[in-house]
Amino acid sequence: MLIEQVDPHGHTVLRHRFAGVGTECTVGRDLDCDIVVDDEHAAARHALLTLLEDGRVHVRDLGARNVTRVDGKRVPADTGAILEQGEVIVGRTRLRVRTRHTPLGPERVFRRDFLTRHRTPLAVAGAAACMAFGAFLQWLDAPSSMLASVTKGALVALGVIALWSGGWALMTKLNRGSWNFRVQVAIASIAAALCAWGSWVAGLVAFAAQWSFVVKIGIAVVAVTALVALYGHLREATHYGRRVTLALAGAVTLVIGVIVWLATIGVDDSDVNRVALGPDVRLGARRVVPNRDIADYLTEVDDLRLAAGRERQKSLLNAPLADADD
Amino acid sequence: MVKFGPFLVALWLCGFAAAAAAAQATDKPSEPVAEKPAESPPAEQAPDTGADAVDADAIDADALDAAAVEADIVAQELSDEAKNRLDAARESVVQIRGFFEGSDSSAFHGSGFAVDDGRRIVTNYHVVAQAVLFPRQYRLEYLASDGRTGPLQVLAIDVRNDLAIVAAEDLGLPPLKLRGEIPAQGERAWSIGYPLNLGLTITEGVANGLVENSIEQRIHYTGAINGGMSGGPALDRRGHVYGVNVSVVTGRQLVGFVVPAKHIAPLLARAKGPLVESLSAEQLRQRVAAQVLAYEAEVLEAPPDEDGTQKARGFTLPTKLSRHLECSTFDERSPHVRMRLETVSCQMPSRILAQPGVYVAGLSVQHRIAQSAGLHPLQFERQVNELAAGPRRAGAPAHVAPFACRDALVSLDGFDARVSTCVRKYRLFAGLYDFDVTVVGIDDPGQALVSRLALQGVSFDIGRRTMERYLGGLQWTR
Repeated sequence: MLIEQVDPHGHTVLRHRFAGVGTECTVGRDLDCDIVVDDEHAAARHALLTLLEDGRVHVRDLGARNVTRVDGKRVPADTGAILEQGEVIVGRTRLRVRTRHTPLGPERVFRRDFLTRHRTPLAVAGAAACMAFGAFLQWLDAPSSMLASVTKGALVALGVIALWSGGWALMTKLNRGSWNFRVQVAIASIAAALCAWGSWVAGLVAFAAQWSFVVKIGIAVVAVTALVALYGHLREATHYGRRVTLALAGAVTLVIGVIVWLATIGVDDSDVNRVALGPDVRLGARRVVPNRDIADYLTEVDDLRLAAGRERQKSLLNAPLADADD
Repeated sequence: MVKFGPFLVALWLCGFAAAAAAAQATDKPSEPVAEKPAESPPAEQAPDTGADAVDADAIDADALDAAAVEADIVAQELSDEAKNRLDAARESVVQIRGFFEGSDSSAFHGSGFAVDDGRRIVTNYHVVAQAVLFPRQYRLEYLASDGRTGPLQVLAIDVRNDLAIVAAEDLGLPPLKLRGEIPAQGERAWSIGYPLNLGLTITEGVANGLVENSIEQRIHYTGAINGGMSGGPALDRRGHVYGVNVSVVTGRQLVGFVVPAKHIAPLLARAKGPLVESLSAEQLRQRVAAQVLAYEAEVLEAPPDEDGTQKARGFTLPTKLSRHLECSTFDERSPHVRMRLETVSCQMPSRILAQPGVYVAGLSVQHRIAQSAGLHPLQFERQVNELAAGPRRAGAPAHVAPFACRDALVSLDGFDARVSTCVRKYRLFAGLYDFDVTVVGIDDPGQALVSRLALQGVSFDIGRRTMERYLGGLQWTR
């Protein structure tokens, strides 16, 4: 039989192995015990475990005030209990007992996930995409010192990714003992590159189809990407299970979203002239919606007669509109 | 005659304590300097001693003495004449002060003078505007030259000419005589008022006839006018009132404006009973809006004398949407070295003040043709988007509602364009709207028209009709 002493998290602290039929093992605080537990809730001689002929284990309580339990059930004082496998609780100490009756699971094939296997090329590709976007933004401005600006853009993007991933890598090191830097870089840079390039392409689509709501979809996509990235970072850096990680990542995304939203409202409130026009103009781009003629457009403008008086922000400072009622 | 560019701003002369709020709402920089009463009296000009020294060296002593005596005599005559004018008019001129609720320190102040039976006082609309628009918050008082004070009531307003008639029943001041005709150019003239709350003051200058490009008649007065002199009388040689001090161009030398006195008589005829007593705040604001709308109907849609369009780089651009618009074409300094920018800009030469800091009946068109000079299409596109985004017209949330916008791709004559229209309503004046229309040509990756039409404080129908003429007038022949 194998007796493992486990801590509250389920990790094995000590391991004891006993062989031979009839072997007896006492558990308690007494130094003469076979398994000595440092537990103030345990008796000096608390329980006796005997390996039976058929390989099972007999557990007997030795009259402790905190009665010995097996898988949560009290051990009867007179007969004791027989078990093939399970957890014996002495005081507050948990002893996991395994015998040869304990079934073994099938051998699991060792396999790392996609991200871990390809962490190097993914990290390089992601970082390159981010750097390219940084450089592209600078190039769009057509600055006079093109090389310097483009290099600056790329390096700034790289620096941001490195800082962010470095933070997560440090967390991974503290929690799990290894840095996993490339995995963290891959998660951060791929998410960032998807958001950046995606938003640029979305602008093109929004103009071609004249869908101003693409912007809102874009915000949703960015939020989901952020959620996924945070989930990935947390899974790599911590021991938390799937559900806890998801909840944590969701909460963080929500908090960030609310902060951004509040900030936007603040801007709207102080400036009546903040106007959200449609998507940016793309010169000479292919378009999928037909143009309107002037008369049709002016009919649409007529709708503004009512809309112009609609209050989109509430403020005590604002006087009511003179003819708000009509 | 003077012709001043539309970039010069006329500063309204009434001394508003709430200068910051007023300045915020105008779209052009205006100087609130003159509106802070008595805090910082204007510094005295230091004599130019260097120049004197040079003169003394060059001219022999006898000639210098003779010149000095001559100058003394002239100065004596000038100052005497100013003194006579002031003495004759002193009792007729009052300071008009506005108080916020129960406060006994004035919120704003201006000047006025007695006419008719001596109980009616002429001043500017902008001096009493707060009291007209917010009758429950503000009250008006006069301060006569002998120190008497008493309540004033607004009898009639003329927003268009910036005039108002107020009255105090207990007041019997010697009325000033009005002179209907415009003084000849170069005629000596005087302006009287209470500048910067410094006490009754007279300034001397020259009347320069009617301003050429003003829609409403304004006399150009070359002489000092300062904040607080608004509503004060402008006198000719015989001591008759030829006009009312109204505004000044800031940052320039002694360019003042005076409303001709002939506009006073029709207003006096209308001044039957106290406005504020007989009308509610709502009705008073409606009256202001109605006067603005009447003005607009006449002025904003006046058809141009000639063609009214201008050609540039293959574009035909509507410029004279109203006959009164004044246009200029220039090579604008481009935001990018590899982009050329040609600009045609048209503005109304004057606007109307409906509320301190709120100018209405404005119309402006700005066409900008951007041409790429070696930019990649994506880079050019970014520049064009930045041009189109541009700064929006300012406005205080207390005066206007937020913009509501509608944009679409529209087929114009010869090219496609993205047209965005934003409209907002005025809070105080029912039926007045701001329009802001931006047109961006989207066909050519190397050349784009970025054009903007802006209307301030117009009726929705005028705005829509102007838009129609504007959009219909844009044309590109390649």
